[in-house]
Amino acid sequence: MTWEIGEEIVKKILEKAPYAEGRVRRERRLEFKIPAERIREFLMIMKENNFPLMLQISAVDWVRDGEIELVYHLMNIELGTHAMVKVRIPRDLDKAKMPTVRDIYPAAETYERDVHDFFGVYFEGNDKMEMPWILDDPERGLYPHRKDFDMLGYVKKKYKILDRFDENKDKYVI
Amino acid sequence: MVDWRLFEPLFNWARKKSLWIVSFCTGCGGIEMPPLMTSRYDIERFGIIPDPSPRQYDLFLITGYVTPKTLKRIIITYEMAPDPKWVLAHGSCPLNGGVYWDSYNAIKHLDKYIPVDVFIAGCMPRPEAVLDGIHKLMEMIESGEADGWKRYRENYEWYRKNQDELLGKGWREKEARKWIPWLVDKKKEVKE
Repeated sequence: MTWEIGEEIVKKILEKAPYAEGRVRRERRLEFKIPAERIREFLMIMKENNFPLMLQISAVDWVRDGEIELVYHLMNIELGTHAMVKVRIPRDLDKAKMPTVRDIYPAAETYERDVHDFFGVYFEGNDKMEMPWILDDPERGLYPHRKDFDMLGYVKKKYKILDRFDENKDKYVI
Repeated sequence: MVDWRLFEPLFNWARKKSLWIVSFCTGCGGIEMPPLMTSRYDIERFGIIPDPSPRQYDLFLITGYVTPKTLKRIIITYEMAPDPKWVLAHGSCPLNGGVYWDSYNAIKHLDKYIPVDVFIAGCMPRPEAVLDGIHKLMEMIESGEADGWKRYRENYEWYRKNQDELLGKGWREKEARKWIPWLVDKKKEVKE
């Protein structure tokens, strides 16, 4: 299905940012893929092109590719259009770094702290990165939403109870 | 001298008739509180009121899952209250972890950390079930079975050991040191 207004918006943005890939996924839903180092200039272009609201920065952990995909969700309120800006960065802890975008979208500060807590992506320039956020001290630095985090092992070690963790048992009470 | 133990049945009867709930909705079950309080189930007719002060309450509702971070606040709030005090835990999460049984951040057995008088199973229990639990608790208060506060005092070392095992030794002081400067002066945010 094609959505003409969306095609126009994508065309207009891609003219200014030729390094990006963009397409219309469906009505009111756009998708862009860009290289990680161009994120700031691309988001500035998006903001000039009537996407004033940042909804979320979400992250997907692709273990086999060795990459973390960051998705910046932007919203055009006039058209009710949702744009996803996708970026891939390496998932190694020392390489998973991004420039902050909090001066472009102030709401990004919170989302960046969130992604840092759960996925271990460091946003350079966000000075609240090191402050305590959602996770408590024992979990900080473990990045529990990464796919290779040994959840059951951690739970067994931390809570030390529950028969249902015993894989060799036949009958379970709960 | 008056032996006040003689009047204990009278006191217990009075206690069961005026339970004050601390308004600290600790989990998803907090959403069951509005129908309980408002005209549909109206628990005020049992003499129960939601009370914002942790220094005056009798009944502590643990409404749903508890994370270690919340558990710290729960323990502090529980210890603040004056002595006959009761805990009622909603839902399967405080019982055994419920749907969060393999989560890194939800505690599995609440009664290892604070004594619980009545558990209500289910996810989530409907307001009727909570009312039933409160009725059960009232009966237990009158008969003297609801003795969680006594058990907490007698077995304090055991509870304290479990708490310290989970939250780390000296967690009370650490928490205070971490947050008090932040509450007092926003400029002195502690970077840790």
